[in-house]
Amino acid sequence: MTEFSPRIVAFCCNWCSYVGADLAGTSRLKYPDNIRIMRVMCSGQVFPSYILKALELGADGVLVAGCHIGDCHYVSGNKKAQERVETLLRVMKTLGLDPRRVRLEWISASEGMKFASTVKEFVEEIKELGPNLLGVR
Amino acid sequence: MKQIIKRTKAYYCVECGKCSGSCPVARVNEGFSPRVIVERALSGMKGEIEGDRELWTCLTCEACTTKCPSTVKFSEFIRGMRSSAFNSGYTSRCSQGGLLHSIQRVQSYRDIVQNRLQWISDDLKTSTEGEVLYFTGCLPYFENLFSGFVNPLEIARSTVKILNKAGISPVVSPNERCCGHDLLWTGNVETFQKLARLNIEMIKESGASRIVTSCPECLRTLKLDYADFFEGTDIEIVHISEFISSLIKNNDIKLNRAGIMTYQDPCRLGRHMGIYDAPREVIKSMGELVEMNKNREESSCCGVSAWATCEGNSKLMQIERLIEAKSTGADMLVTSCPKCLIHFRCAVHNQIPVEKEKVDIPVVDLTVAACRALAGE
Amino acid sequence: MTNIGVYICHCGTNIAGVVDVEGLTQKVAKLKDVSLAKDYKYMCSEPGQDLIREDIKNRNLDRVVVAACSPRMHENTYKKVLASAGLNPFLLEIANIREQASWVHLDKEKTTDKALDLIKMAVAKVRMDEPLTSLSANVIQRVLVIGAGIAGIQTSLDIANIGFDVVLVEKEQSIGGRMSQLGKTFPTLDCSACILTPKMVEVSLNPRIKLFTYSEVEEISGFIGNFKAKIRKKSRGLDESLCTGCGLCQEKCPTKVPSEYDEKMGKRKAIYTLFPQAVPNIPVIDRASCLYITKGKCGVCKKVCPAGAIDYERTDEFIEEEIGAVVVATGFDPFDPVSKEEYGFGIYRNVITGLQLERLLHAAGPTKGEVVRPSDGAIPKRIAFVQCVGSRDEHANKYCSRVCCMYAIKNALLIKEHHPESEIFIYYIDIRAFGKGYEEFYKRAQENGIKFMRGRVAEIFEEQKSRNPVIRADDTLLGMVTENELDMVVLSVGMIPRSDSSKIQKMLGLAASPDGFFMEAHAKLRPVDTLVDGVFLAGTAQGPKDIPDTVAQAKGAASGALEVISHKTLQLSPLISEVDERLCRGCGDCKDVCEYGAIEIVTLDTHKVARINPAICKGCGACAVACCNGSIKLRNYTDSITFAMLDATLGGAV
Repeated sequence: MTEFSPRIVAFCCNWCSYVGADLAGTSRLKYPDNIRIMRVMCSGQVFPSYILKALELGADGVLVAGCHIGDCHYVSGNKKAQERVETLLRVMKTLGLDPRRVRLEWISASEGMKFASTVKEFVEEIKELGPNLLGVR
Repeated sequence: MKQIIKRTKAYYCVECGKCSGSCPVARVNEGFSPRVIVERALSGMKGEIEGDRELWTCLTCEACTTKCPSTVKFSEFIRGMRSSAFNSGYTSRCSQGGLLHSIQRVQSYRDIVQNRLQWISDDLKTSTEGEVLYFTGCLPYFENLFSGFVNPLEIARSTVKILNKAGISPVVSPNERCCGHDLLWTGNVETFQKLARLNIEMIKESGASRIVTSCPECLRTLKLDYADFFEGTDIEIVHISEFISSLIKNNDIKLNRAGIMTYQDPCRLGRHMGIYDAPREVIKSMGELVEMNKNREESSCCGVSAWATCEGNSKLMQIERLIEAKSTGADMLVTSCPKCLIHFRCAVHNQIPVEKEKVDIPVVDLTVAACRALAGE
Repeated sequence: MTNIGVYICHCGTNIAGVVDVEGLTQKVAKLKDVSLAKDYKYMCSEPGQDLIREDIKNRNLDRVVVAACSPRMHENTYKKVLASAGLNPFLLEIANIREQASWVHLDKEKTTDKALDLIKMAVAKVRMDEPLTSLSANVIQRVLVIGAGIAGIQTSLDIANIGFDVVLVEKEQSIGGRMSQLGKTFPTLDCSACILTPKMVEVSLNPRIKLFTYSEVEEISGFIGNFKAKIRKKSRGLDESLCTGCGLCQEKCPTKVPSEYDEKMGKRKAIYTLFPQAVPNIPVIDRASCLYITKGKCGVCKKVCPAGAIDYERTDEFIEEEIGAVVVATGFDPFDPVSKEEYGFGIYRNVITGLQLERLLHAAGPTKGEVVRPSDGAIPKRIAFVQCVGSRDEHANKYCSRVCCMYAIKNALLIKEHHPESEIFIYYIDIRAFGKGYEEFYKRAQENGIKFMRGRVAEIFEEQKSRNPVIRADDTLLGMVTENELDMVVLSVGMIPRSDSSKIQKMLGLAASPDGFFMEAHAKLRPVDTLVDGVFLAGTAQGPKDIPDTVAQAKGAASGALEVISHKTLQLSPLISEVDERLCRGCGDCKDVCEYGAIEIVTLDTHKVARINPAICKGCGACAVACCNGSIKLRNYTDSITFAMLDATLGGAV
């Protein structure tokens, strides 16, 4: 049996976390290739439904990454993201989906290192959780 | 499409326009006409209908069906067309960015283990097996999403409290799934069927012979749309309003006076299931009922169906209905559908197009009102 | 029919070293709606760009995906390629297969798989992207400057000297601001008036500067390039066009009240100018203390005015001005030390603030530059300065006000120079001498015998008979609690936001930092901009700073404002949110989350709907998520596009 290789989707805000991910690249930091990054304008643009839909489609983990609190390019989008993710986690809990599959992180444009280590950590954690049961029909 | 036309007797349509005249959507949206949609179907314009936005605007409230002199089953026709559209890749809108339908779809996965019973407090008696099963529906999820302006779980608690009062400790199952109503009415028949099968399994395992619902949509779905799945079993499905009214008739419970009330007939309970009297009897036993002008079969809609039809016009309908309710002079507007409750409360949340006093009437679920009025509590 | 062209860049070996580009290209060519897929060594090079351009023309491509480096590198380059080939530049997507694939992974096969996924996602998105057109708006080529202290003055002069019009609005009756209250300035000890007054005169003479004094901006509407300001010109109680500024009224007025401008260290009349060099040199009648207005008696000023300018009944005027950019230079207030009860300010007469001392030291101040004790007018010989009053204090303001160390040292030196025999103490916790020449200045103070006592003053009390204030403090260098009897104590109060700053903040939709000062768009890279496009900050309105920093920022703000108004038209990004008015319920949830005030709820005949001002919307998408029923969409970032992208990478339709 081949080793479980999680599928992870990341929503990265255009101004901080996406740039942080780019910096990980320009710094040639290595992190697992399980992650697919989607660029969003702001973490506050991520509907809770995007995350649940990703899980429905079989993603084993979803990362939402935005600017640090206080640094949002749009003033407070990240705070809104936080509230919305919390709402979603309540729904996930009721649905019996493991909230650890969803992770909210603040990663600034200068934190390439943090981006890489977050992905590494998250992939390890998801490996421990095992596959998302919505992915295996 | 031919089958849909045949099944819904759409070919009987004589283009009289009675439907459009009685349609609550057409009243606020000039472009919408049930007659025209049927006519286009009869002329074989399948692709056009599937891609048409109006296909998803219909509330399937049956206002037209009850009036149609040719007995065309328009709601079912729409449902059929939506399923056909869904299979061609068209999807409905869904409130909350698709979250509600997503929640419903996730419940169709056999292996999930939900935490949907957190609301059962120590004072409530429930069982894992038994004769009566309380089908709670979406209430735990509504609590997750709408607790800011409604209290969905109070409906569940009130239902169990009343059942307890009647000496029943109902089965409430953690394995219950969404009944599938919304997905069925937005064309996703496949997932509906999965949900139905899982629910039937759960019901059979519980050993229940009687199901009580506090939601008219669950009632309709279980009673009519699950019929094929229930084949060979003899299970009675009742709405809580019917249950309470029979308790009152048998003097099993007594309700205190709770004021003057007016009543909103939910489309699924009223026109779909023909239940008009039971909720009224419950209201009369705890207060005075003043009817709005449009009531029973004529009742107007809460404006949204299956989380797919919410738009500016829905709000117009809601505001109009609330004005009507307020003008009766009643202390509260009682409804027996959790979604009517949510939609009416949503309509007055934040900015409204009329003065607040005109729509300022509490909206209360029938079961909640009855539970609050329980004598000796 | 969709014809998507996909271009995969080798980026030398940067991508091709890890990704099997040829294999990838073959796979991509088979994707739905992809009519061609090509790879090239350097896609951003001229031949690479030509390749795309030619295919758009010859192969009728209607959408393009470039799989290469981060969109942050070359998205604009390729947008221009599309535009030059006649294709809408918003029908382009970049798959970031360098920074987010080949540079971060090693496994060739897996990285190629990932690159394919990223391209699939880009194809899914570009298929649904809508062509967008930038909106252009006319720009009103004038700038409004609010506040005419040194910051507002400098900004206005810079803009006017480059040849653009300025509307300069000052709340007080004269321009000059806080700097005009100061005696001398550190570290060079120039007299403040000597360097400020010429600039004030320059403002009054510059034909490009329309000056409104004793006026306030009451409302601002519009957006970058097109603001409208409503200005209230308060009544001075006289006809300004007649007044010659002769000063006779002021001389003859019988009423004397404490002067706010002199920080209550001196008196003024009921009709008065702030100071002799005021610009404009026109007095104001203080309606609260004028005998004629309060009691109907007197009327002396009217009698003596040779120009017949006095008009007690004159009312406020309202003026509307249109401008393209706004500079906020509203300055600061000194911290009011009354709340620091342990210092006894307001109780002990010989405890004064730093700004009060400035007035005493000012050659045109109430004592003509002589420092005297308020209680008896004697010349104080033992003086102490108490630092960080209201600053670096969790109970008042957490921040450092930056100027207090230097102004205390400056005033200590000035006193020491006048009266070398005097003994001067500065109670400090750190001396912050950050500016050019400041450390040297600090040294000079030490050389001149000014005593620096390290310790925060615990308490000040008064010797009743002598009215001498006594400082009790831990001298932390000696480790001893000391008591020090003085003739006078000066509290080095810090800077706080203007008392009416929240009004201005609301009016303009600005954000405030935790310290209450207006917030810049970026602490490091956009320190003069605000989050409201077309609105800039200058001076202490943004945070405590000294004069050189204020002037530097003022020049920066001028350049920011000029960047906006030097163009006749302005391109607005079309990547913004839009409302489907048929769906909209008009509940206003979107308006509540919009940080920019871009959304208005308008009432149509029977219902309300949200309207987005495309010039103000920044395209963050917060409103779209707040909308319960999907009436608002962020263009090209809609939920259906997101779902399609998720589907493209995760597969399996649900």
